[in-house]
Formats: sequence, structure tokens, C-alpha cells
Amino acid sequence: MDAGLFAQYVMNGLMLGMMYALVAVGFTLFFGVLDVIKFSHGDVLTVGAFTALATYIGLHTLGLNSNWLNLVVMLVLATLAMALLGMAIARYLVMPLRSAPALNTLLITLMLGTVLRECVRLFYPQGANPKPFPALLPRTSFDFGDFNLRVDNVLMLAAGVLVIVGIQYLLNRTKLGLAIRAVAQDEETARTMGINFTAIVLVTFALGSGLAAFAGVMNGLYYNEINFGIGLYLGVVGFAAAIIGGLGSIYGAILGGFLFAGLQTIGTVMLPFASAYKDVFAFAVVIAIMAWRPTGLIREKISERV
Amino acid sequence: MSKTPKFAALGIAALILGAAAVSADAKDKVKVGFIGPLTGGVSVNGIGGRNSADLAVRLRNADAKSKYEYEMVVLDDECKPNVAVQVATKMAADKDIIAGATHYCSATAIATVDTYHKFGFPVIVWGAVLPDITYRNKYDEIHRVNGTMINQNDANADLISKLGYKTVAVIHDTTDYGKGHNEYFSKALAKIGKAKIVGTFGVTADQQDFTAELTKIKALNPDVIYFGGLTPIGVRIRSQMDKLGIKALFDGTSGIVSDAYIQGLGPLAEGSLAFREGAPTEKLPGGKFFMEKYNAQKYDNPPEAYGAFAYAAMNMILDTIEKVGPDRKKVIADLANVKDRDSIVGKITFDDHGQNTVAVITKYVVQDGKFVEWDDSEYASGKRKLPGQK
Amino acid sequence: MAGKGHAALWPGVAALAIATAYVVALLAAEKQSLIIILLAIGIVAVLAAAWFGLLENVSASFTDHEDSLAICAVAAACVVGAIFHDNHFVLLLVITVLLYSVATLGLNIQFGYAGVLNFAGASFFGIGAYTSAVLNTHTALPHLLVLLIGGVLAALAGSLLLLPVLRTRGHYAAVVTIAFALLFKTFLEVNDVLGGPQGMQVKGMRILGWSFNDNIDIGRVSLSFYMNYFVLSLLLLVATFVLVRRLERSWIGLNLDALRLDETAASCFGLDIVRWKITAFLIGNFFIGTAGALFGMVGGFVAPNNYTFADSLILVSILLLGGIGNPWGLLVATIIVVVVPEKLQTIQEYRFLLYALMVIAVLLFRPEGLLPRPVRRYFPGWRP
Repeated sequence: MDAGLFAQYVMNGLMLGMMYALVAVGFTLFFGVLDVIKFSHGDVLTVGAFTALATYIGLHTLGLNSNWLNLVVMLVLATLAMALLGMAIARYLVMPLRSAPALNTLLITLMLGTVLRECVRLFYPQGANPKPFPALLPRTSFDFGDFNLRVDNVLMLAAGVLVIVGIQYLLNRTKLGLAIRAVAQDEETARTMGINFTAIVLVTFALGSGLAAFAGVMNGLYYNEINFGIGLYLGVVGFAAAIIGGLGSIYGAILGGFLFAGLQTIGTVMLPFASAYKDVFAFAVVIAIMAWRPTGLIREKISERV
Repeated sequence: MSKTPKFAALGIAALILGAAAVSADAKDKVKVGFIGPLTGGVSVNGIGGRNSADLAVRLRNADAKSKYEYEMVVLDDECKPNVAVQVATKMAADKDIIAGATHYCSATAIATVDTYHKFGFPVIVWGAVLPDITYRNKYDEIHRVNGTMINQNDANADLISKLGYKTVAVIHDTTDYGKGHNEYFSKALAKIGKAKIVGTFGVTADQQDFTAELTKIKALNPDVIYFGGLTPIGVRIRSQMDKLGIKALFDGTSGIVSDAYIQGLGPLAEGSLAFREGAPTEKLPGGKFFMEKYNAQKYDNPPEAYGAFAYAAMNMILDTIEKVGPDRKKVIADLANVKDRDSIVGKITFDDHGQNTVAVITKYVVQDGKFVEWDDSEYASGKRKLPGQK
Repeated sequence: MAGKGHAALWPGVAALAIATAYVVALLAAEKQSLIIILLAIGIVAVLAAAWFGLLENVSASFTDHEDSLAICAVAAACVVGAIFHDNHFVLLLVITVLLYSVATLGLNIQFGYAGVLNFAGASFFGIGAYTSAVLNTHTALPHLLVLLIGGVLAALAGSLLLLPVLRTRGHYAAVVTIAFALLFKTFLEVNDVLGGPQGMQVKGMRILGWSFNDNIDIGRVSLSFYMNYFVLSLLLLVATFVLVRRLERSWIGLNLDALRLDETAASCFGLDIVRWKITAFLIGNFFIGTAGALFGMVGGFVAPNNYTFADSLILVSILLLGGIGNPWGLLVATIIVVVVPEKLQTIQEYRFLLYALMVIAVLLFRPEGLLPRPVRRYFPGWRP
């Protein structure tokens, strides 16, 4: 294969991986503080993307046409709105179920995901149709042989890296991050140390859901099209990515995200049979990885308490 | 929430309708059915079809000369074969429902033909284009007012060859709809023998990311990308082609002829080709009448590409019931003799398989945010050029 | 209630009779307004009964007189079948309830007893259905045997997952079966041999020349052909139910409970964890596969879209709604989950939304499910 095409595949894989990773990081965060899987995560992403789109249409009718300004306002509004939604979900759906089996949380968030998805479809104007998402980033591109390098892709990748680095910094270098990690490690001890458990849980859910909104906007900018179903698939893949990476650490989620994207790309390019088999291939590898490393590629450090 | 007033409004509407029904002089009530995708990715088309069929029923009920009071039972097949079999069983098993206008998705229509046959339930398909629906068996119950995909693919291959394109890459969804298109298009193109297919890619109908497939296609460097599938993934593929800098012509099928395709792509839709059997709604003999009546009802959604067919199918059912009475067997017997019947989609003639022979194929090209007939377009007159057009 | 001795039989019989009458009314109702009123009445009645403490009498009656009430339940099912003897669609709905119950009983063995998560229930159901599609078309195997083969194949396919399932726990185990569910559906879609996304026709059942797909005419009474399947499904459900109940009460059930509650402790007491997990997983899949094989013949059609991850979730939500580990709860939950969305068809576009909201409400206000599993009784009549 020539270098240009190879570079193109790598670029596609990176963009895909970045989106998966952003979703997966959210799963890891929620799992960290509450030991729960919040399956509505993908649909929060959808709602985030639609919030951004609605904001754009609003700004546009107000006559604001600066792409950069619009993008910033959209990002801020969507992230804030989803952070609030995330907190509401945590407060009213996830926390009340803490004493129930973990499966209940999983199911209730799955159903919430359905509710969010259906609401977008039914109550967003013509929500059942795919919606065009404005291309707000510069559309310049450079051709290197078969490789088409687009400035917007580079910017999005850079923004994604920045966000992940930022989260990493927040978790490891700030007091808030310390509190989150403390809660993640041991709720009771954290409480006795004077950490406001509820507040920390809410902040973490806000953070993760804000990330989903960011990923949603990125998804919109990348594909220039959003629909009410985008979150369903991204949610499942993000979850699988978080799990194969290992729920214990954020690096696991990132690794898992890029690994899954890599598998799909390899599935299309290298396998002898039809490209439609790429998901069969990717998920089969996921199952194999689980058999090989039952707690994910990056193992959790905590041993089981008996 | 905004739901409460909506439901309240529905309730009031139901009351008023109920009151109206009581006050009208007591005509016998007759039930007819409609099935289409009301949820899922192609629900716009299903809702457009339902509204159109509903329009036919409403107009008939408003007509003082009609013998019966009609009630339309609407069921949702979700564009899924399994759900379709379930709702088809439900409809066909209900002896009060005399006949139905059914299915937009080919996958659901082909799945249910045996069910209709088993229960002796006459249906007229209003949107699905797979030839097998009418031609695989010879069931008296199954009819279709729209044409099959064979003709549109002949026209498609013909136009591509005429325009001088040499290489084509095919992307199709792996439902029977996409597979059928792939089959008939490949055959038609091979028969003409001017252009050849350089690669074929099957994709799942709910796939989001096509960059890997498209990168492969980019390496093949085709003049044309033929797409056999429905609007949602058509929109994605077209916009991701642009992302990867693929300049090929986007050549679609009847599955993308919907306002949603243009809305979803904006300016990128420009220059996409699509083909559909039958004349465009506004050029149909009864097109103007249909659009006027449709708009007067203030439905939320447009009728979309197959709305007129749904109207014609339902209207034909109502005509037949008026003529022979609410009896399934008699309806089937009468539908077997449909010849040169006037309808808003033109003359309808069913062959021995219940298939309407629609000779007309409309070639569309997207120009300035609209599906324009190819022959009227600035592309055909040479004023504008399609990508790679000589 | 403890210490009162035997509970009376009549609350159970009364509850069963009322429930049967209610289900019949719901199934027979056609008008949307009537259905909504019926549903509202049902919810209010259950809440009121719970408020006045009537439900405790019922559940006590069920624990003490399970066998007699089970016979009454079968009789009730027969009454439902008799009332709708010529109504194709209602019978199909009832058969769906019966077969979904069999499948969720299988899931119940896996998750309710052994604690093994399975998010691919619909996939194993699908393996059964595709088995009957292929075998009925291409071979002359007796169709009852095909049912068994469907179950065995589902168990075999499940054994592919044994290694990762055994090695992982909790959420990690969930992802194994979720990945399998997604893989299975995509595989069916892209693979041409099994009909691809288009699916396949399934030939109807035929036993000793008796075709299940013909209407039955006895004198002037005409029975729907679904009556055949109804009887067979009911038999299958009764057999499965009895087996599951026996299994639960036997020492195997005791072992499974022990390993679900605390694997480490169980293995300290010498239980072979791997062996019992495998047993539960395979038996569960066998039941799911058998139900799937029969359902394939009933529907006459199989397609990948029947067996998606979402369908697996519906099975799991039945388990949770009913109360994990309680077969009686499962039956109630299956009726709710299968019948209610179907009856709400005319609300068309809103029914998924309503269904999801309903499940959320149940989980919030009754997190242990509608009928939670009672504490195990080691001796008849014994109460903790």
C-alpha cells in the first residue's frame, strides 16, 4: 500500500479513535466514583450535539455569523447543558438506586437513553431526519499524493488531545481531582476525611457528560451530519472500549478507544472478505481480549475485598 | 412538558370526530389498513405515506356520495422484517379490515407476502421496489402501484454510460433493497458494456463511519460512486466523500429521493443523481390536485417521494370497496382486472402478478437544493457540469 | 405473617382469577381509550392492593399452595386460549408471552441463580430460530427433534463464550455478552448463506402428518391454527417451569445460590465454581434456544433484526421487572412487557417513550422488581 493511502487510514482511525476515547473516558469516570455503568452516556452525546445545533440555528437567526464565536458559544452551551443533565441523572436516577443491584442502574440508564433518543426524534423539529451540522472549522485541505490532510481534522484532534490532557491534569494535579480519586478508591474513607461525597459524584457526572457534549459537537463537525441514533452506537462502542482498556484508569479508556478504531480500520483494509465484516471482527477481538485479560488491558490495581 | 396539551388536543379532536361520526347519517363503517415505517431512520417516508393514505380516506369520507364510512387502521413496521410480519399478521388476522396499503421498505414487504397470502388479505404495496415482492410468487393478494427497481437501474446505467463515465464503485446496504439494487445495476451496466465496476462494498444499514470503505474506493479512483440504499446512510456517505476529497459523481437510487437527503447535506447534495419510477409528483396527472389537498390538511410532514403512490393505493382500495362491497374475496377478484385505471399517478394496469407496469422513470439531479428532473436541468443542457463530466 | 401456620388458599385463587379476567379484558380491548382506562385501572388496583396489604396474603398463599395454584394457572391459560380460540392475533400474542417466558426462565437460571450475566439472550433465541429455519427447509428431521437441536446448538454456541465468561466478572462479563450480541447480529446481516438482513422463511411445524399451520375445524367450531402452537408452547412452558422450580429447590439450586452470593466463600466450602457456572450457562441457553426454535416456526420468519442487542435488553428487563430469581414474577413481567407495547400500537410513535418511562418508574419505586424472590425455604411450611 502506498504511503499516502496508509496515512489516510491512520488519520481516519485517529479521528474515530478520538471520539471513541472521549466517550470511553466518561464511562471510566462514572465507574470510578460510583461503580456504575451509565448507559445513557451515548444518548447524552446525541442530546449535546442537538443542543449545539439548536444553538447554532439560534445564533444564526440572531445574525451572528462569525464561525469561531458561534463555535465557542455552541461548545459552552452544549457542555453546560449536558453537565446539568448529567448531574440531574446522577441525582435523581443513579444515586437513589445505589442500594439496588448494579444491573438496575444499568437498565435504568439504558431506558433513560431510550427516553432521550425518542425525545430528540419526536420533539426536535423533524428530529427523525438526519440533520446537517455546519462546518465551522476552516475547510482547507492539503493533498499529499493520496493523502488528503484537512485542517479541521487536525484542529479537532488537537482539541481532543487538549481536553484529555486537561482532564488528566484535573484528576492528578488539583484538589478536586484528588477528591474524585479518593471517592473512587474508597467512599467511606473519603467521607470520613470530610469530602462531600454527593457533591463529588455530581461534579464527576457533570464532567463526564460535558465530555460527551464535546464529543457530540466533534462528531457533528467531523461528519457534518447528526441524527438521533448516533449516540446509541457510540455509547456501546465507548463502553466496550472502556472495558477492554480496563475500567480502573483513564489511560485504559483512551487505549481502548484507539484500539477499537484500529481494529475496525484493520478489519476493512486487511481482511480478505467483505468490509461489512469489520464489526464482527472487531467484536470478536474484544471477546478474545476479555478471555485473555479479564479485567482489561490495564488491570485494576485494587484487589478484591473478601 | 408539552405533551399534556398535545394529548388533551388529541382527546378533544377525538371527541369532535366521534360526534361528527354520530351525527352523520349512519353509513356502514368499513376498516382499511395502512402499514409503513413510522419509527426509525426512514420514518419520514412512512409518515408521508401515512398522511397521504389518510388524505385519501378523509376525502372519501367527506364525499357525500360514498357508500361507507371508512376508518384507517395504521400500523408501524419500523422497516424491520420481523416487526412487519407481526403487524401484518395482526392486520390480516383482523377480519374487519378489508384491505391494506402496505410497506415502504422492500425488506418488510417481501417478508410479509406469505402472511397476506395465508390470510387471504388483499394489499397494495405503495413504496417498496424489490421485484421479488410481486414476482417471486404468484399471489392474488399482492399488488403494487409503484414500479420495481429493475427499470430505474436500467435508466441509471444508461445515463451513466451516455455521460461517458468509465469506472464505477458500488456501495450498497446489505438489506435486500441494497443487494437488489447492486444486482440489477451491475447487470444493466454490464449489458451496455461501456463502464465497468471496479469495486463493490456492502455496508450495514445503520453504519455511521464510512471513511475506511471510502478510502479504499479513493485508491480505486472511480468516476462514479453508485449507492444502493436509503437516505440516512446516503447522507453520511456523500458528506464523508467530501471529507476525504473524493470528487466522483454520487449516483443514488430511489431510496435517496426525499427532502431529508437535501436537508441533511445542504450544498453538498448538489449534483447528486437519483432515479425513481413514475413521474415526479408535481408532473403527475393528479399531482397538483394532490398537493393542494395535502397542504390543505396541514400535516406536519411533506408527502415525500412515495406519498402520491400511497394515496393512489389507498384510493384504489376505496374505489374497489365502493364497487364490490367490503368483502376481501370480491376485492381480490376485482383488483385482478385493473386495467388503465385512472389515478393521480397516471393509468394503472396490473399484470398477472399484480404489478403495475410503470414505464416512466424519472431521472433526477440535485440542482440548487432541489431534485430537478434531469432533462430540465442545467446539467443536461450543459450549462453546469457534473463532477468528471466530459 | 410468620407463625400463623398455613396461609389460606383462596387469596391466591382469587388473585389468579382477577388477573386472568384482567388479561382477557386487555387482550380483547380494541379501542385505545378503553385500553388506556384498563391500564390505569390495573395500576391503581395493584397500588391499592399493596396499600391495604392484600398482596402479602396473595404471596403467602402462593408460597404455601404453589402446586395447586400452578395447576390453576395452567387452567387459567387454557381459559384464555379457549376464549380467543379463533382470534389469530391474540393467540400469537399469548404464544409470544409463553415462549418469552421460557426464554427468561433460562436467563433466570443464569443470572437469578448462578449470577452469570447474559446480555445476548436474544442472540441465543435467534440461534434456535435460525436452526429451525435451516433444518425445516433443508432436512426431513422430525420437527420436535428440531426444537431440541435448536436448544443444543444455542448451548454449544454459548460454550464458545465460556472462557471469557468464566474469567470475567461484573461489568467485564457484561461486555463479553454485549459484544457477542452485536457480533451475532452483524454476522447474520453480512452473511448470505443465512439470508442476510433479509431473513429466511421458516416452514411450519408438522408432527406425524398433523400440520400446525392449518386451521382446525371441529364441527361448526373453527379454531385458529395458532391453537396448535398455543398448546405446544404451553406444554413447553409448563415443562420448563417445573424443571426450573425443581432445579431451584434441589442441591444444584443451593450450590448456584451459594456461588452467586459469594464466590470466594463458596469455593472455600469446596464448591466447584467453574463447573456450576458452566452448568447454569449451558442449561439456560438450552431453554432459550428451544424457545427460539419454536418461536421461529410460529412466526414463520426469521431475520437478524429480531435478535438485536435491544431485544436482549428486553429479555433482561423482563427479568428485572419481574424480580430476579422468582419464576412467578417473570410470568407477570413477560405479560406486561409483551402485551402492553403491543396494545398501545395506536399511540404509535410514542410507545417506546412510554415503555421506557414505565420501566424507569418501576425501577425507581420498586427496585427489587414486581414480585421479589422470597427467602429460600428448606422445609415445606417453614418460614424464616
